[in-house]
Amino acid sequence: MIQSLLIANRGEIAVRIIRTCREMGIRTVVAHSQADSDSLAVRMADQAVCVGPPPARDSYLNVRNLVTGAVLSRCDAIHPGVGFLAENAGFAREAQEAGLIFVGPDPEVTELLGDKIRAKRSAQEMGIPVIPGSAGSVDDAAQAVKAAEEIGYPVIVKAAAGGGGKGMRVVRGASELADVLRVASHEAEKAFSDGTLYLEKYFENPRHVEIQIVADRRGHVVHLGERDCTVQENHQKLVEESPSPAVSAELRAKMCEDAVRLLHGLGYTGAGTVEFLVKNGKHWFMEVNARVQVEHPVSEMVTGVDIIRQQILAASGEALEVTQEEVRFGAYAVECRINARSAGRVTRFIPPGGFGVRVDTYLHDGAVVSPYYDHLVAKLIVSGKNRMEGLTRMARALSEFVIEGIATNVPQQARIVAHPVFRRGIYGTGFIADMLKEGPT
Amino acid sequence: MELKELYALIERFEKTGLSELTFKRNGEEVTLKKGIPAPAPVAAVTPSHALSASAGRGPSADAPARASDVEVIRAPIVGTFYRAPAPDAAPFIEKGDKVKKGQTICILEAMKLMNEFQAEFDLEIIGILADNGKMVEFGTPLFEVRRA
Repeated sequence: MIQSLLIANRGEIAVRIIRTCREMGIRTVVAHSQADSDSLAVRMADQAVCVGPPPARDSYLNVRNLVTGAVLSRCDAIHPGVGFLAENAGFAREAQEAGLIFVGPDPEVTELLGDKIRAKRSAQEMGIPVIPGSAGSVDDAAQAVKAAEEIGYPVIVKAAAGGGGKGMRVVRGASELADVLRVASHEAEKAFSDGTLYLEKYFENPRHVEIQIVADRRGHVVHLGERDCTVQENHQKLVEESPSPAVSAELRAKMCEDAVRLLHGLGYTGAGTVEFLVKNGKHWFMEVNARVQVEHPVSEMVTGVDIIRQQILAASGEALEVTQEEVRFGAYAVECRINARSAGRVTRFIPPGGFGVRVDTYLHDGAVVSPYYDHLVAKLIVSGKNRMEGLTRMARALSEFVIEGIATNVPQQARIVAHPVFRRGIYGTGFIADMLKEGPT
Repeated sequence: MELKELYALIERFEKTGLSELTFKRNGEEVTLKKGIPAPAPVAAVTPSHALSASAGRGPSADAPARASDVEVIRAPIVGTFYRAPAPDAAPFIEKGDKVKKGQTICILEAMKLMNEFQAEFDLEIIGILADNGKMVEFGTPLFEVRRA
């Protein structure tokens, strides 16, 4: 078993990981930048090591300082958390070469899944439905026009190294395609040092539904059901819920079976998510997130399975604590991401509480929200017997939430949760844009 | 021996007045020593780095308050701090030494690389703040210096 874990991350996810380690009797060392030397994670961890100045590229992305810090503070493992180096195969390799356990899939698997074209091909080979698109990359305009005509407009141009909407463009006719390819390739080259592009059929206003998987090194691959992450603004998820109001029992069974088969086939270990587009009762594979995700607590609240704990067990070579048959579904859970809209010092912090309410956060009275990092400051997760009860509880919890000193999106989240379209459960990824057309929050 | 047991042994050893401890069991042997020169740097010395007083300067709550002309040189990377090129060699510098710009003042070992660090300006060593052979974090105070 892992005895001593370096957490190469910050904010609420570092706090989240420390909590599970405490329960498992694992010593924690949190790596932090100078901007976070007084953070909640640093206070809670058994030890802290400063790995660099505030900019993430010099601290949370500084592989050498992170690995050296882990070795010298006598850790036997590194947990990358979410974002930063979580899906960086090179970091996993450096950690392994230094004799450390990397809490995540093997670097070869991460590498394959990071190349969206290879990942899609793997899914297709295993008989999983994929979005109709170009066979591999498109290297010039003529090839792209031919591919687009076969697929049928509108099409979406995507970066092979993709993520976060970078290099992504919707094209509605052949006349735009050549120009769009140039711009998207340049953008992808800048963001990922790889300008390779591919084309896919563009679905208007689809659902975005993902399957949570945990897998150990003994061949056990268990799904924890789906999360619906359709509520997005600029490709950033805002609200996630499980079960999805758009997924029938039959579709759920198919998606979960496909996700398990894919990750089993790839020899995947740890926590991972298989993302699908859903439209008109059908599903298409999109990509795999080879890490634990921000919204993982939704599945924890539904199933009662601690996903971070399964990750650590799997990385240690131990078996998962649950079999597929033992996973309990039936409850409902929903998460609202609380994002800062300004940086600064929190002068007053009163989180909601009560029955079925969970808050994962690094905030407290006096906490500093740094301008250097992601704007996610808290995750509010509630559970209920069903969607109606869950959303009523979420509205109640949001109304209790007091965060003073910084601006947050709590009012917008309250508006989403109360919105009749969201309440009905029939909407697509364009929901937030439509809501904002009705007027600002 | 399990890593856990080894850690427990190290922690207990640190609290004792002993300077050396050898533990044997089932053909395994562990020797712990205290208060001796740090192990020899074994890897090749990498291209050198200049270490300036401003390097890694950050929130300096841990730095003692001093006369205003005294500057603190801080660790620019995470690593093991060595004052000498080898365990049996003399330290690069001692307290009170006058150091010329470009002169090596310490080594920080990180990922088996010995990173030599040099003075970025002419200076006098007022104090040595880090312990030889110990881990330093980014920003750990290493030396107190006065510009010459």
